[in-house]
Amino acid sequence: MSSSDINGKTIVDVPPIQQSEIDLVREQLRSEHDMYLRSLADFDNYRRRMERDVAGAVDRGKRSLILGFLEVVDSFDRALLQVGNAATPLVEGLAAVHRKTLALLEAQGVTPYHSVGETFNPALHEAVASVPSTQHPPGVVADELRRGYKIGDTVLRPAHVRVSQQP
Amino acid sequence: MGKAIGIDLGTTNSVVAVMEGGKPTVIINSEGNRLTPSVVGFTAAGERLVGQLAKRQAVLNPENTISSAKRFIGRRFSEVQAEIKNVPYQVVAGTDDAVRFLVMGKQYPPEEVSAIVLRRLVEDAAKYLGEKITDAVITVPAYFNDAQRQATQDAGKIAGLNVLRIINEPTAAALAYGLDKKGNETILVFDLGGGTFDVSVLDVGDGIFEVHSTAGDTHLGGDDFDKRLVDWIAEEFLRDHAIDLRKDRQSLQRLSEAAEKAKIELSGALETNINLPFVTANTSGPKHLEMKLSRAKFDQLTSDLVERCKGPVERALADAKIQASQLDEVILVGGSTRIPAVQTLVRRLTGGKEPNQSVNPDEVVAIGAAIQAGVLAGEVKGVVLLDVTPLSLGLETLGGVMTKLIERNTTIPARKAETFSTAEDNQTAVDVHALQGERELARDNRTLGHFRLEGIKAARRGAAQVEVTFDIDANGVLTVTAKDKETGKEQKITVAGSTQLPKEEIERMVKDAQAHVEDDKRRRDEVSARNGADAIAYEVEKQIRDLGDKVPANEKARAEQLITQIRELVKNESTDVPRMRESTSDLQQLAHALAAADPRKGSASAAHAGGPNSAPQAAAEEVIDAEFKQTK
Repeated sequence: MSSSDINGKTIVDVPPIQQSEIDLVREQLRSEHDMYLRSLADFDNYRRRMERDVAGAVDRGKRSLILGFLEVVDSFDRALLQVGNAATPLVEGLAAVHRKTLALLEAQGVTPYHSVGETFNPALHEAVASVPSTQHPPGVVADELRRGYKIGDTVLRPAHVRVSQQP
Repeated sequence: MGKAIGIDLGTTNSVVAVMEGGKPTVIINSEGNRLTPSVVGFTAAGERLVGQLAKRQAVLNPENTISSAKRFIGRRFSEVQAEIKNVPYQVVAGTDDAVRFLVMGKQYPPEEVSAIVLRRLVEDAAKYLGEKITDAVITVPAYFNDAQRQATQDAGKIAGLNVLRIINEPTAAALAYGLDKKGNETILVFDLGGGTFDVSVLDVGDGIFEVHSTAGDTHLGGDDFDKRLVDWIAEEFLRDHAIDLRKDRQSLQRLSEAAEKAKIELSGALETNINLPFVTANTSGPKHLEMKLSRAKFDQLTSDLVERCKGPVERALADAKIQASQLDEVILVGGSTRIPAVQTLVRRLTGGKEPNQSVNPDEVVAIGAAIQAGVLAGEVKGVVLLDVTPLSLGLETLGGVMTKLIERNTTIPARKAETFSTAEDNQTAVDVHALQGERELARDNRTLGHFRLEGIKAARRGAAQVEVTFDIDANGVLTVTAKDKETGKEQKITVAGSTQLPKEEIERMVKDAQAHVEDDKRRRDEVSARNGADAIAYEVEKQIRDLGDKVPANEKARAEQLITQIRELVKNESTDVPRMRESTSDLQQLAHALAAADPRKGSASAAHAGGPNSAPQAAAEEVIDAEFKQTK
């Protein structure tokens, strides 16, 4: 290997066999660097997504609890359907409890939505059956079997409905 | 090429996953779910609904809602006569005996319908990741023939995807468990999904998988277990109330949901309660359904279904010409493998082997596909498995406690530095005692090494700034460095193998710490109280010295009394935490009073008295008093 000094810089003639090693190492370095950058990028993206998700996580936790609670509210709905408008204290009490549950839900941003008479929309309704109907035109919700609820503007739980049949 | 995704295009449900930072993640769809039903609904209004939305209108539109397209993809019309009987939509023959779905007068090949599902999956993935997706690996059953594989690939193309590869579902599952890394292995994959059951026996060697045999039952799955329960509950109710709940759509719906929920609960609990108030009504009033279901009863009701899993497993082993004892690994795929009776059967049929199920069985195929996609996209050059440090690392500080710098199970390489100081006035050297373990006291933990850093400038205690760094590289080699920030002097030691303790040893130390958590906390509190008391005593002493004559006599006396008291407690290594804390706060108040009374140094001393170097509420602060011993 020969070397010469020019202005304090040492120039070294590198024999070919070492050059190929250098090239290999360069390539490896480039590849490693690339993987490193990908990892950084992934991490960045992940962190950004986590920030989004954390905000969503509390919602999801609440959601799970609220969905369970809605089943209890459903039972109240059914109970009240059975007892009708009898003015007994027991019925009144039940109705009052029912109102209380709805208020509790509303405080969490959960509101029921009306389905009967609306055009069937799979985003809002889950069809359980189609039924003949004289009251409603075809493709319209004739009957609600389970109430639908929204949380804010998103559908929390679609309504179970019976849709008026095509003749 | 952007990110490549892995897609498990299932008969009933599809799952998508992607590699991020070397780890596979399941992608959440636009409805917030990890599973997307493989269903397409063609509406009269000309819409194409996919997934959950399609399912919701299926009852209204059965002839135009295509589910289970996978049962038809790549097959000839003459082959699928039995399947046609099970679906409500029309299936007709196209040219060359091809299968076509007849939807609203138009003919659709199954791959086009699957493409609609794939397109939605890709859209949702792109939205979730925030970038365009063009490349994917799609999985198919191991028994799929060339035509079926080609058709699946075509579906991908129609959906606008560059299909990097079509891989077998059992292979994907094996990849998810990293079994390609383990040398030569014989693997049995037991896949019990919602509607289909598949058993495969594979071989892996040098990272190459080979399927030796497949067997299964194309109509056996979790849905059958649900139906059994629904029937039993309905029969019980019929017997008690003479009403068949299955006849009314609404009560049947509630019953089906409750049955599925009960099945899932029984995978964890031995008994569950099925409670449906006001499930129906007749002339005599409302009726309620409430019954207990034990796991034993559930197992009894479904025992024949579980037994049906036996045949295919035995066939697969026979066709692969191996005995159960020759299996190295067993993998469980599909949600229904969570059923305890199924797991028991698998263990029985595979010679008592413990099956792999740590990866979510609903998602394991998608995860394996994502891993393969990562490799093919050049992102993953062999999966990088990162190690963790199994026990906490730290050093000994004032009072003989261990101050942790790196918590256990921290992914390595890792690096943590903290600044410590001297415990005594004019201390010119610090002893660094590096420890490993979970106990609060240094002496209860494992010593990794000892060294000392000398040449610290003599000063009052707490003045020096010694930065201690714990640095573990990817190989688990730990370097502990102590550097005096003022003089720049530095000392270090290197410890190898700290991440390679035998598992039993690690478990023992963790259990030990848990057993002593009360004791250790108490001891730590004692040390902390002592240190705090000592620190304030030192501060106030200094205050009094500095203020000289300006200290009112009675306060001086009171202070000296408290200081003597504290010194006594500390010397005797008192464990009377309340007393020490009380003395500390009394002295603190005095310190404030003294500081307030001094017009000259007012704010400076107050800051000093409450500052980080002397705050008795030691726990989390920037500069920690370290008991670095002096040369004797």
